[in-house]
Amino acid sequence: MGIEIGSVRLSLDDLAARVAQEFAGELTDVSIQEPDTIVARLECSKLHPVARRLHDLAEIAYDSLNWIAAVDYRTHFESVYHLYSYATNTYLEVHVEVPRAKAVVETVCDIWPAADWHEREAWDMMGIRYEGHPDLRRILLKDDWIGHPLRKDYVDLAENHPNV
Amino acid sequence: MSDEFVDTVPDEALRLALSRVAGATAAGEGSDMQGLRLDEVVLNMGPQHPSTHGVLRLVVTLDGEMVKDVIPVIGYLHRCKEKLAEKRTYYQYIPIPDRTEYVAGMNCEWGYVMTVEKLAGIQPTRRAEVIRVIMAELNRIASHLVAVGTFTADLAPLGTAMVFYMFRDREQILDLLEAASGARMMFNYFRFGGVRYDLPDGWVEKCRDFLERFPKMVQEYESLVETNAIFLQRCLGKGVISQQDVVDYAITGPNARASGVAHDLRRTRPYSVYPELDFDLCLGRHGDVYDRYKVRIEEMKQSRAIILQCLDMLPKGPVQVGSLKPPYVITPPPGAVYTAQENPRGEYGTYIVSDGSRYPYRLKYRDPCFINLQIFPKLLTGNKIADAVAISGSMDLVLGGIDR
Amino acid sequence: MGLTGGLKYPKLEDFEHPNIITTSADLVFNWARSHSVFPFTYGLACCAIEMLSSGFARFDIARYGMEVFRPTPRQCDLMIVAGTVNEKMAPVLKRLYDQMAEPKWVIAMGACATSGGPFYDGYNVVNGVDKVVPVDVYIPGCPPRPEALFQGLLELQKKIQKMSFVAPTAAAASGK
Repeated sequence: MGIEIGSVRLSLDDLAARVAQEFAGELTDVSIQEPDTIVARLECSKLHPVARRLHDLAEIAYDSLNWIAAVDYRTHFESVYHLYSYATNTYLEVHVEVPRAKAVVETVCDIWPAADWHEREAWDMMGIRYEGHPDLRRILLKDDWIGHPLRKDYVDLAENHPNV
Repeated sequence: MSDEFVDTVPDEALRLALSRVAGATAAGEGSDMQGLRLDEVVLNMGPQHPSTHGVLRLVVTLDGEMVKDVIPVIGYLHRCKEKLAEKRTYYQYIPIPDRTEYVAGMNCEWGYVMTVEKLAGIQPTRRAEVIRVIMAELNRIASHLVAVGTFTADLAPLGTAMVFYMFRDREQILDLLEAASGARMMFNYFRFGGVRYDLPDGWVEKCRDFLERFPKMVQEYESLVETNAIFLQRCLGKGVISQQDVVDYAITGPNARASGVAHDLRRTRPYSVYPELDFDLCLGRHGDVYDRYKVRIEEMKQSRAIILQCLDMLPKGPVQVGSLKPPYVITPPPGAVYTAQENPRGEYGTYIVSDGSRYPYRLKYRDPCFINLQIFPKLLTGNKIADAVAISGSMDLVLGGIDR
Repeated sequence: MGLTGGLKYPKLEDFEHPNIITTSADLVFNWARSHSVFPFTYGLACCAIEMLSSGFARFDIARYGMEVFRPTPRQCDLMIVAGTVNEKMAPVLKRLYDQMAEPKWVIAMGACATSGGPFYDGYNVVNGVDKVVPVDVYIPGCPPRPEALFQGLLELQKKIQKMSFVAPTAAAASGK
């Protein structure tokens, strides 16, 4: 009764082929990483509609958002979405490239409620702004912290340290 | 004498709560009893509070005793672990994941070591794999003892005997872990390709001895609270997490299993020697506070069964791949990997991006408590404040993992 | 007027030199203070679990008279800072320290509270709680065993027992 895990049995290659076919042109560089992860790239502008379709897919819906990571690759940022599908018991890792000059991405909070605090942390640590987030403010650092620490070019200012 | 602490500037979370209260009052909410308008009160629970299990701050909007809104504020223990990963070599970093979920150190180290081994293509020895499972399951029992003990200590502030018995028995487990690794809490025991020390002589017998005495201890705990009418009244039917919530909010661990979702990484994404082990998943039916408590008690019994099987199948052999020679530096090839393991609190994993150098390029933790905490506003709203304390205790939060 | 009816009674602090009255009073007060310290539950991080363990049955802190852990600073003498202090927590720590009544003591338990610990180069970590409040006893370790915490508490007891109403040096300095 209720949520079943792994009720749809598909081999990872078949599943990857199916995902690549459904989202042909949108999810690029679809590859598999044993034992149960499909990795793909997605363009920043197509994030929200593709995410909505991934969530609402029939049979193999990626209904759970595991985590969102923000990575700084010096020339650009990457917002990595790790999705989980209860039906197939597999993961989908979507890499979204975010330009450094304008680090703005659409939020996926309305699709997966779990995205809320992950996006706040990505904003806090990396400075990627999530458009449409209900409450985008700092989560781990104090409210008046200057700078985004996990950036590779982060400089620690003395104003952040009144207690030293 | 005036109180010099009265006029502090409210910070963002407080301002948000106050603005919501103002909005609610303007919209006409707030109890109205015979012409007496009662306002909602914004109460600050924490960051120093006996029942919030660490430095968690809950800005609670109360209407009398009923909770209208909760804004959790975290970050009071943010120790920059993800940035520190970029300044430490892979070996130097091993003690640090220990300090995320500090009550379950062995499991956390495993979550980190597993990812690096996958990145670098190192396969641990068989004896080390079995020892790792034993240590992780022992630590699971110890962690559940702390979780359930502090949960019952919240219901009546240190008034229940349960927490004293649980901590006494936890000391026996810590003795075993200390004999193997050298430390009571921050073990620094896992290495890439194995574990640091082999089990000392007589350890297996001591472990069996403890496991023989363990079922009677669990019986004692159950007999202490499960027939207590007050405990049952405070726990049954409160703080229900539905199965759809588990999917939407990505809740894992005993909190998810108490709602009936059979999500356990030892079964759904098995690692190490778990495919060869025979154990049951403990599922609850209603997802309330009592179910979460019960699932943890049952998991302790299952962990005991796992450890007994592992002790029986412990092979001889080295506990490390190759020999540990200086410089203790590994340089995994460039790539990005995410692996996770089943922590006592849920799915604990690390996502490591490597650029081929001695230092990780980016390390991101998938911490179960951080994600489980997101459901708090939904879970606590509509309950009395006393129930809010019971519910937050049952969710088993460790702030070291939430704040990293 | 009031209770004394206009008579002037000498206070212990009015004595200029330590004498038999002040040293006897010192003995009694210091014995009482050092053997019934009320610690403040200020467990921040991992060291808090070791502090909890020291309060329970195996490493019984009640043998030193300190089992009364109060959650409110207004009722405490001793603040055991167990864990890392960071920039967000430091103002809270200062505020709670100010709310404690004199005489009060602070123990920095663990490497993080002493000097930042394994996270010393983190951007958000205050390297030692002594940058925020004055510390009486430092306990090294990560985490310190409960026995180490007890050694720190015994050192604090020794320190408390050196307290006096009239400081000997003040009398010597006044040239008598």
